[in-house]
Amino acid sequence: MASVSCKDLCKTFSQGDTTITGLDKVSLEIERGSFLCLSGPSGSGKTTLLNAIGGLDQPDSGSISIGELRVDQMSKTELAEMRLHSIGFVFQAYNLIPVLSALENVEFVMQVQGVPAGQRRDKAMAILAEVGLAGMEQRLPAQLSGGQQQRVAVARAIVSEPALVLADEPTANLDSKTSAQLMDLFIELNQTRNITFIIATHDTRVMAYCRRLIRMVDGQIVGDDLQEPAAAAEPS
Amino acid sequence: MSLPLSAITTLAWRNLWRNHRRTLIILAAIVIGVWAMIFMNAMMRGMIDGMVDTGITMLPGHAQVHHRDYLDDPSVVNSIAALSPAAQQALENPDIEAWSARVRVPAIISSERDNRGVILLGVDPAQELGVGFDSTDLLSGRFLESVDDTGLVVGASLLEKLETVSGRRVVLMSQDPDNEVAERGFRIVGVYEADTDAQEERFVYAGRAVVQAMLKMGPEVSEIAIVGNGYRDLGAWLPELRAALTADYQVKDWRELDGYLEMAVNIQDGFVVILAVIIFVVLSFGLVNTMVMAVFERIREIGLMLALGMRPATILSQILLEGLILLSIGLLLGNGLAVLSILPLQSGIDLSGIADAAEMAGMATTLYPVLHINDMLLSSVVVLVLGLLSTLLPAWRASRFDPITALNKN
Amino acid sequence: MNVTLTMAWRNLWRNGRRTWLTIAAMIFTNVLLVFLISLQLGMYDTMIENSLRAFSGQMQVQREGYLDEPRMRETIAGSSAITAMLREQLGIESITQRAQGFALASSQERSFGIQLIGVEPAYEPLVSSLPGLLGEGRWLSDSNAEEIVLGRVLARNLQVQLGDEITLLGSGADGSFAAGLATVVGILDTGLPDADRSIAQLPLGTFQSIFSMPDQAHALVFEFPDLNQVPARKSQVETLLSKKQLLAQFQLAVHDWDALQPGLRQAIMSDMVSAWFMYGILIIVVSLSVMNTQLMSVLERTREFGIMLALGIKPGRLGRLVLLETLIMSLLGMFIGIFIGYLLVAWFAHTGFTFAGMAEAAAKYNMDEYMYPQASLLSLFWGPGTVFIGGMLAAIYPALKLQRMHPIEAMRAV
Repeated sequence: MASVSCKDLCKTFSQGDTTITGLDKVSLEIERGSFLCLSGPSGSGKTTLLNAIGGLDQPDSGSISIGELRVDQMSKTELAEMRLHSIGFVFQAYNLIPVLSALENVEFVMQVQGVPAGQRRDKAMAILAEVGLAGMEQRLPAQLSGGQQQRVAVARAIVSEPALVLADEPTANLDSKTSAQLMDLFIELNQTRNITFIIATHDTRVMAYCRRLIRMVDGQIVGDDLQEPAAAAEPS
Repeated sequence: MSLPLSAITTLAWRNLWRNHRRTLIILAAIVIGVWAMIFMNAMMRGMIDGMVDTGITMLPGHAQVHHRDYLDDPSVVNSIAALSPAAQQALENPDIEAWSARVRVPAIISSERDNRGVILLGVDPAQELGVGFDSTDLLSGRFLESVDDTGLVVGASLLEKLETVSGRRVVLMSQDPDNEVAERGFRIVGVYEADTDAQEERFVYAGRAVVQAMLKMGPEVSEIAIVGNGYRDLGAWLPELRAALTADYQVKDWRELDGYLEMAVNIQDGFVVILAVIIFVVLSFGLVNTMVMAVFERIREIGLMLALGMRPATILSQILLEGLILLSIGLLLGNGLAVLSILPLQSGIDLSGIADAAEMAGMATTLYPVLHINDMLLSSVVVLVLGLLSTLLPAWRASRFDPITALNKN
Repeated sequence: MNVTLTMAWRNLWRNGRRTWLTIAAMIFTNVLLVFLISLQLGMYDTMIENSLRAFSGQMQVQREGYLDEPRMRETIAGSSAITAMLREQLGIESITQRAQGFALASSQERSFGIQLIGVEPAYEPLVSSLPGLLGEGRWLSDSNAEEIVLGRVLARNLQVQLGDEITLLGSGADGSFAAGLATVVGILDTGLPDADRSIAQLPLGTFQSIFSMPDQAHALVFEFPDLNQVPARKSQVETLLSKKQLLAQFQLAVHDWDALQPGLRQAIMSDMVSAWFMYGILIIVVSLSVMNTQLMSVLERTREFGIMLALGIKPGRLGRLVLLETLIMSLLGMFIGIFIGYLLVAWFAHTGFTFAGMAEAAAKYNMDEYMYPQASLLSLFWGPGTVFIGGMLAAIYPALKLQRMHPIEAMRAV
């Protein structure tokens, strides 16, 4: 799976009397293992597209498939199942459950997935170590820096070994150094685990990491370029 | 900076409806609480009034004049010969609605089948109809027509116990002043029904002159039962009458005659406050919670207002005003609901399903809820005063925020 | 520990003040309910016990129809033999015969029509509390003694003292003229105005000879060690009597206390109903408080719930989380409330509870001036259990609100 295919996606929102175009006949093919950026000014439709791919929002028309699965035809429950098991999400800051420690945040998702209690802890510890948070497992989100919180979110996103990770402005609240570290982590996971990353951002430093950069304006794709990632994936 | 009251009111009103669900839920709690206080009080009042009513009919009257030994020894020897002119004068008081001079002696009534102990009342029908007997109580036949009427009016339950019927003769037997047996036959001319069986089995009515003749007594009576205008406050006539009576006679009001009734009325008066306070305490937890939430989710906003130079007192009054508006709406709706729910019950609630219990408690089998404006006011004042007290804490704390800290609160 | 449980627990204490206020509301209500219900149940028991001990007993055997219309002639023939048989078969002594009739009682000074009760001097004290309430003099000595005990007020009205003679006139069971003489040997201070004004008891043998009803009685009165035995004992007595052909032959009927004093159960029921009206209101008010707290706690976590929904966690699970939080809160409120309530009940069960005006009420209802609340599983859990259910029901609304939450909109919420 995890080759993402969108065809003729349309979506409009109404805000008061005016209708806003979210997506306007967007078609897109994403191969497995891609590292892709959706860029554009706010209101350009990048988040809408990301949400549509993740099954958080239904398009008005058009089709989306992830692998063999038709996302646009799934029921709410099936979508939730898919998000839980097959897609990892990383949002802007404050996307952890504040009352749970780093370890428990990761464990919670696994508990919902039905992973047996014995496996949960070991796996969560291992993943947290992998994202560089060894020794901080018991801290509550409020006791972690913004970058560390996003690492926990990443750990939570990849713990179920999804083939696809969707990230919506993951660096929005991070300074440039922490952003760079987070992007390095993404690149590393992309290469070692062959996870497809789709990142919606308007941060040019983030765009520099991608191999494929899609630019959107007013709900339409206006640019689709392959580029050589500026920053290497070497561990810094 | 201080705002005019109208501006504060507008702010308070809008703030209240920012989270309309929360406001509606706490409002529902206040309305239900207030409604229950008033509704239950009306029921309780109705019950007590019913008991006092029954009690006063049993006595009868709001006060009674007796020979000073009569209550201990209810015999014809302890009778009232004649009242002093001053006492007669006192009975003319306009606050006295009616009075009845009655002969009242224990007697035995015998039919062909059975005997019972009863209280024989020799009455003047003209006087008695406003006091101990109500013509609507008459089930069949007629009431007495004059003091010389030789007929007898008995209760329905007694008739059944004696295994006799209206129109038959019965014999009444009692004691004359010389302790000799005095007896006389009477024809039953009327049957009445009362609130309780006990009442029906206890009292039989005969013409006063006939009873006086039967008991070989002069124009004396055993008691004068007096009905005033309302049982709670008897008015000035009672002390006047008391002063006018000679040493041989005494007057006692219903409280003295029936200590249990007095207690029931006193308990009821205390109950209004206790009920209001209990329901309020449970209510207040929710109220404090809501107001605290309303204040703390606005910390930044309040910080901003303070930073802009608004006086703490204005903040305090604005939040108190929110509480006041909330409580006032709750009180208005609660009181309204109470009136609406009690009005259709004014015609009486049938308690015949628990008739035996009602009789045990000395109540009639129909309960008429009584809506007292005073109860409504008292409950409302309790809720308003305690309610404002419980909004005072969050309001005071909000007014004492440090603007900078508050502004930086997330 | 289960992560969901951890989460629920910690969520509660994110706003500890609010949670404690809500729990405090439940505790207050629960303590109040435990105390009042224990008091009520305790009072009912005493009320039943005292009423039965003073008047009807727990169970009676009578002639059919006597209960509704107590007529002199409706007697149980050969009552002493039946009573002896029942005492032997049931293995208890506390069964006594009574007869009841109307008479004109005359002292030298006064005459009154009174209800006379013939009792067995040896057995009546085992069944009734009245013989124990003698204020003056002594209890009846022998079944054929020409003695009488009177209530205090009746004695005063008749103007008699201990040792005075009373003439009794009436009509016998067979319709004949009945006359007798009895000496006042005791005066009862029951504390019950009605009883003091009317009670007049004399030995059964004397009663039978005055009213021409040899070896007959109107009722056999039973007292068992425990009120709960009544239903079983009733069918036992019915079986015994029908086996001996007595039930049909003499047209006897067995009545339990419910039939003898129907007002008692009705009074208890109606008191219970009106009390539960108030309890119901308290429970509704507390439940609304719980609803408000949980609604607030859901609304202020909208963002958080949005993220969880986006992660693929189903709304149902989030709803269960809210219910779990309410469950913890309600359980805390229930057990702390029951605990404090129990202490309060235990304290007053020891010292007794009374209030101003209680003495008069107690006299009217034949009760002790002090009320003793009685802790039982029922009295401890009935009220708090209902509060618990009310609280859980109240959480349904906020939990349902979650079901309609949309992840994207929720995540955008502040």
